[in-house]
Amino acid sequence: MVNEIFDQFHKIATAPRAQMDSYLQQGKKVVLTSPVYTPEEILHSMGFVPMGAWGADVELNRSKEYFPAFLCSIVQSMLELGINGAYKGASAIVIPSLCDTLKTLGENWKYAVKDIPFIPMTYPQHRKPAYGIAYTKAGYERVIHDLEKLGGKFDAAALAESNRIYNRHNQVMRRAEEVLANHPEITAAQRSDLFKSAFFMLKEEHTALVEQLIKELEGTAPAAENLPVIVSGILTDAPQLNAIMDELGFHIVADDVAAQSRQYRTDVPEGEDALQALAEKFGNMDNCSVLYNVEKPRVQWIVDTAKERNAKGVIVVMTKFCDPEEFDYVMIKKACEKADIPATLIEVDRQMKQFEQIRTNLETFRDMVNM
Amino acid sequence: MAEEKKARRPVDPNSAKYKLGKIASDAFADAIEAKKEGKPVAWVSSNFPVEIPETLGLATAYPENQAAGIAARGAGERMCEVAEADGYSNDICAYARISMAYAKLKECPEQDVAMPDVLLCCNNICNCMIKWYENLAIELNIPMILLDIPFNPDYEVSQAEIDYVSAQFWDAVHTLENLFDLKWSDERFKEVTGFSCRSSRAWLDATAQAKYTPSPFNGFDLLNHMAVMVTARGKEAAGEAMEQLLKEYKENHENGTSTYRGEEKYRVMFEGIACWPYLRATSHGLRDRGINMVTTIYADAFGFDYHSFDEMIAAYCSVPNAINLEKSRDKRIKLCKDNNVEGLLVHTNRSCKLWSGFMSEMSRQIGEACGIPVTSFDGDQADPRNFSEAQYDTRVQGLMEIMEANKEAKGE
Repeated sequence: MVNEIFDQFHKIATAPRAQMDSYLQQGKKVVLTSPVYTPEEILHSMGFVPMGAWGADVELNRSKEYFPAFLCSIVQSMLELGINGAYKGASAIVIPSLCDTLKTLGENWKYAVKDIPFIPMTYPQHRKPAYGIAYTKAGYERVIHDLEKLGGKFDAAALAESNRIYNRHNQVMRRAEEVLANHPEITAAQRSDLFKSAFFMLKEEHTALVEQLIKELEGTAPAAENLPVIVSGILTDAPQLNAIMDELGFHIVADDVAAQSRQYRTDVPEGEDALQALAEKFGNMDNCSVLYNVEKPRVQWIVDTAKERNAKGVIVVMTKFCDPEEFDYVMIKKACEKADIPATLIEVDRQMKQFEQIRTNLETFRDMVNM
Repeated sequence: MAEEKKARRPVDPNSAKYKLGKIASDAFADAIEAKKEGKPVAWVSSNFPVEIPETLGLATAYPENQAAGIAARGAGERMCEVAEADGYSNDICAYARISMAYAKLKECPEQDVAMPDVLLCCNNICNCMIKWYENLAIELNIPMILLDIPFNPDYEVSQAEIDYVSAQFWDAVHTLENLFDLKWSDERFKEVTGFSCRSSRAWLDATAQAKYTPSPFNGFDLLNHMAVMVTARGKEAAGEAMEQLLKEYKENHENGTSTYRGEEKYRVMFEGIACWPYLRATSHGLRDRGINMVTTIYADAFGFDYHSFDEMIAAYCSVPNAINLEKSRDKRIKLCKDNNVEGLLVHTNRSCKLWSGFMSEMSRQIGEACGIPVTSFDGDQADPRNFSEAQYDTRVQGLMEIMEANKEAKGE
């Protein structure tokens, strides 16, 4: 039964276009949501299906007319897919300006993918003070205004309901992540499918499936422990990478991955004003390379979680050219050294075909950790 | 017999060049002196509102300026390698790598600065700045003040943005007052904003003298003089020196002279930060072909001329790299048209993802709007490993040939 549920996640994770077509056939409107964070709750409440657009492992061709080679391949592949018509039928794309490359994506999108309007979301970096929350709210109002032009209608009560749906999804994702930490037989590939499928489903539908999974796993005896590790990075969905992790016997007991657990750490707080509460949610978010915090608590989070979950090591999966992560890596490396936790760095991008260097790196890391 | 070395002509101490050079070098020396006297020093990002440290009397040093100086004097690679040995990817901005290396070594003969007691960061030029300063704050164990000015996807600055940035402005002031027992004075603020606007107006006027053909100056001058606009635009002496510069450029035009040596056959706009390690090669590649770089976006970038507090905040929200493609494009089109530009030379700068990230589309649009050829070359503002002189030469030659053909077609 567990594997059957994972098969469903896999099917959805590997066929986002089929998911999108299915929603379109149901008469729903789809709005794409770009990394790293977007106010999906608003889209959902206004009747749109938010679908995550984190690019794909495709060859870059037309995107090179816009981007120089030294920009992150997630963003480059998003533009490539947009130009090639892979997102055709989407009503819009919401792109936040949380890193420099995302800023340029929005600007290029306007000219490269004219049939899918670009909706900017401008977040503040001073998220917590009242003036930061007010600015987040102003950004949300801008998104609402653009969605209204596409036929959406904003209603505070509907947003309150969507906030609840998203909170519930967050909770089950956090619970699933905890349960998976006790089940070494669940592969890295399966784990990746669980998270990736969440981007392509309405959250209420995904929640129902994840609840089933949790129930089944809680009634299943875990296999013997493999090599428990924490994975950190922006994106770790490359099939070859996960296959190598599984072959080498790594068990991901926690992740600090932007496309995975970082999405689900923070809930919308209770509050009478649903939009204000959603802005406060962003105010409470932290522990991420694109969210300013001079203390960099993310680094200590990795060390503490590694200890709590008895991880034997940390694998930093660096999306090439992602400078927010590259700066944080130096601090993660130092903190792990200080805490005597082995850590390794592997670099990935969406055009990578040869993973042998990564295999060698991870093999060496495994042997070193096992010594 | 060995070739006789030409003696450098001494610079006239009454010239703008001398005065501006002195202000730029004094900026580093003054901070070092302040540090010796036990006064606090701030490291400041280039488009942070200088009005804050200047009004509070806080000594400043500018890591971007320092990194440019280090790179121009040939130590960019050496410093970058120090940071890379600590785990910094060579994909990271070379200014940041040089700065992280300096924070570790605390010395670099090519350009020393006073070590800081506080970091004043503003991300209106890039978010990379936030990560760079976060790491500096941790490594140096000192406070960091971030003035967050997000990238504006709209053409105009919204009231919401002005309110958000204004609140931070006063937060930053109060934090600095508390940290170092400093006192904000409205009177002094008024004086500083006056100096800043005066410097900016003179700078804008001076750079606008390129409207004349031939231009009364070599555009590479702007790359040097810009340092004063970055570090000292809030000082009285900067305004005076900039006015002197304007006067000299006007005189050059009247006298038919120019700081550009040789005949100005072609006029281009240079896009992007200078390749500091190859300043000579990039400059000579143009000069040898009779090309004058008559303008750059820097001509516009430091035009902080405002008449109210809100206008000042809006100006800081409108610097290059904080504005959308359309506004960035229109500013450049205006510069090209005002200065009779015949070609656009784009530096695809490996260190600057934001500047290079939508440059292809924007430069296509500028080329079309102005009817001028566009060419780009690969380089880096401070890491010499990312530039090829041969590629640069080939691209500049190509640009020149198209400009030549255009002239012939027009019968010029």
